[in-house]
Amino acid sequence: MSIMEYNGGAVVAMVGKNCVAIACDKRLGVQAMTISTEFPKTFQATPKTYIGLPGLATDVQTLSEKFRFKVNMYKLKEEREIEPRTLAHLVSSTLYERRFGPWFVEPVIAGLDKENRPFICSTDLIGCINFAKDFVVSGTTSNQLYGMCESLWEPDLEPEDLFETISQSLMNAVDRDCLSGWGAQVTVITPDQVITRTLKSRQD
Amino acid sequence: MDTLVSKYANSASSASFDDADNLGQNMAGWDAASQFALPAFDIPMVANPVDFLRAHTDASAENRIRIQHGTTTLAFKFQGGIIVAVDSRASGGSYIGTVSLSISFTTSQTVKKVIEINPYLLGTMAGGAADCQYWERELGRRCRLYELRNKERISVAAASKILSNMVYDYKGMGLSMGTMITGWDKSGPQLFYVDSDGTRMRGERFSVGSGSTFAYGVLDTGYDFNLSIPDALELGRRAIYHATHRDAYSGGSVNVFHVKETGWVFHGNFDVNDLHWEYQAQPKGPIV
Amino acid sequence: MFSTYPGQVVVDHPVKVPIEHRFDPYVDNGGTLLSIAGEDFCVVAADTRLSEGYSINSRYVPKSVKLSDKTVISMGGCYADCLTLTKKIQQSMEWYHHAHGKTMSTAAVAQMLSIMLYQKRFFPFYSWCILGGLDEEGKGAVYTYDPVGSYERESCRCAGSASSLIQPFLDNQIGFKNQASQKKTLSLDQVLRITKDSFTSATERDIYTGDYLELFVITSKGVEVQKMDLKKD
Repeated sequence: MSIMEYNGGAVVAMVGKNCVAIACDKRLGVQAMTISTEFPKTFQATPKTYIGLPGLATDVQTLSEKFRFKVNMYKLKEEREIEPRTLAHLVSSTLYERRFGPWFVEPVIAGLDKENRPFICSTDLIGCINFAKDFVVSGTTSNQLYGMCESLWEPDLEPEDLFETISQSLMNAVDRDCLSGWGAQVTVITPDQVITRTLKSRQD
Repeated sequence: MDTLVSKYANSASSASFDDADNLGQNMAGWDAASQFALPAFDIPMVANPVDFLRAHTDASAENRIRIQHGTTTLAFKFQGGIIVAVDSRASGGSYIGTVSLSISFTTSQTVKKVIEINPYLLGTMAGGAADCQYWERELGRRCRLYELRNKERISVAAASKILSNMVYDYKGMGLSMGTMITGWDKSGPQLFYVDSDGTRMRGERFSVGSGSTFAYGVLDTGYDFNLSIPDALELGRRAIYHATHRDAYSGGSVNVFHVKETGWVFHGNFDVNDLHWEYQAQPKGPIV
Repeated sequence: MFSTYPGQVVVDHPVKVPIEHRFDPYVDNGGTLLSIAGEDFCVVAADTRLSEGYSINSRYVPKSVKLSDKTVISMGGCYADCLTLTKKIQQSMEWYHHAHGKTMSTAAVAQMLSIMLYQKRFFPFYSWCILGGLDEEGKGAVYTYDPVGSYERESCRCAGSASSLIQPFLDNQIGFKNQASQKKTLSLDQVLRITKDSFTSATERDIYTGDYLELFVITSKGVEVQKMDLKKD
């Protein structure tokens, strides 16, 4: 079995009209056995930027702390918040530093830049960035998420509609994946507020 | 190995080829019942058919044939007969070829893992779905023939031994089956565990499948021979639910059956998600 | 005995080396198929691309075959195996017709197919099968199979290369999973729309799915075939 599937997990991000959303499941497993159902995989980087880290749980924890440190250092040095696009390149170069012994994580970044323009991207485990204008998916559920998002997503969704779209995409996708699910967390980022909701989803 | 090949090579397709001259005659008397009734399996014409199958079902095979695995099934005897409870998830049951279809893909959430062999015999399904379905159907046919010949129902011991002997003939050829055969005969409620390795055991309480360890935990804690029927049904349901919660490859819904003197009775299909929130809301009783 | 470069050994006598022959009769020809059962109808749909590796061998090779006025079979996987299996089914159905003077029911074809697949348990047909049709009561029926013959009757199912993309969407739109609203029975038009949407979406992300979509609509009036364009990239 692939090490990327050792703990399971799914992350998806979507662009809406002047807003973005990022969502993840909450399972932490060791192969077939579910260890925890309170293990969200999205982390706040700046007030308007989130980073999602699905993959090997030990690297998820290490990298989330590493990125928190790097983002804080950037803020102290530059005296401003890091832009999502800059963060994407920071993540990319952090991963590429370990080109021949990678972190087993495929990050997703979602946020609003200083003009409140939506930004999302995903990278592979060695830092190849995929900039997308619609949605990005990552984790063990990526196939199912691609199918759901490709069918449900449409341009210029308002925050509430975007929330419904991303929630339905994630929940129905993880229900067809043994290694993800057991609850979900959705964050919608708009210019004036960030709303995080916990979804009640299937527990098997 | 040549003897093995010749033993099984008398397949339906080769037989009809040899009898090409009698094709018209064959067609007139063609009968699906006789055509498909007796097991006759095609064998690949290679030096070692077992290695061939293994090479194509192996995790590293390029075009891989996967047979579904992952299940929780249980059955236990108590004063009111036998309770049988199973989950309903099939995972990774489809082909995994060059297309990267993850093995964690849930193929189905609605599998019938209790096979109703006849109105008083039940078989459960763990391991290869096709192996269980096919051989338990074949068992049903043989039990019916026994009944017609002997004017009485077959005992569960005999039925389970027929199954055990049938699959034992194919030992080492890749069959995968872990089943519990239950029923009520002259000597009362009967429960047997039969698997494709050739094991056949009589027992009080069994759980089979990837989630069985979780189910055993609940089952052993709550078990008492003198359990009432509603309590016993609830114990089976609860044990399967807990297994579906912890085991990734079990899930969907619980099917519960009660085996009585008059035959088996189906006691419903319960979505494990509904059970989860129902059990969450209940106050927790003392364990010890 | 001498060496021309390190590692190379030249010998002056013939050497017998066993030639290893690997019997590898399977190839994945890709493609996606799906079937949805309605109250009094059944839809069987499949794309028509036939691919091998990164090449497209043909843009129009139908995966579905009408077996009777009430039954349609759709298969994906190794196309050679699918052709053989389809022929076997058709032949048996014809013999059944001659022997019993009636057409095989959908349920009977379903059971027969299971046994046909299992007869090759040790040399499997590399095929995903979905059987769609009407049952004895005229209700829509979908039977799905694994390569060695385990089968199950369902209300909707997708198989093939894009099954993991389409199946969760069907759960949501046909099975109303994760929706608070009550389960509704869908009309034929709604089912056709969902089917077409599933395939246009899957074609965007799955390289083995595309070219054309062929839909078989089975009703009490018989089988009607529709075609639709999909992306050809």
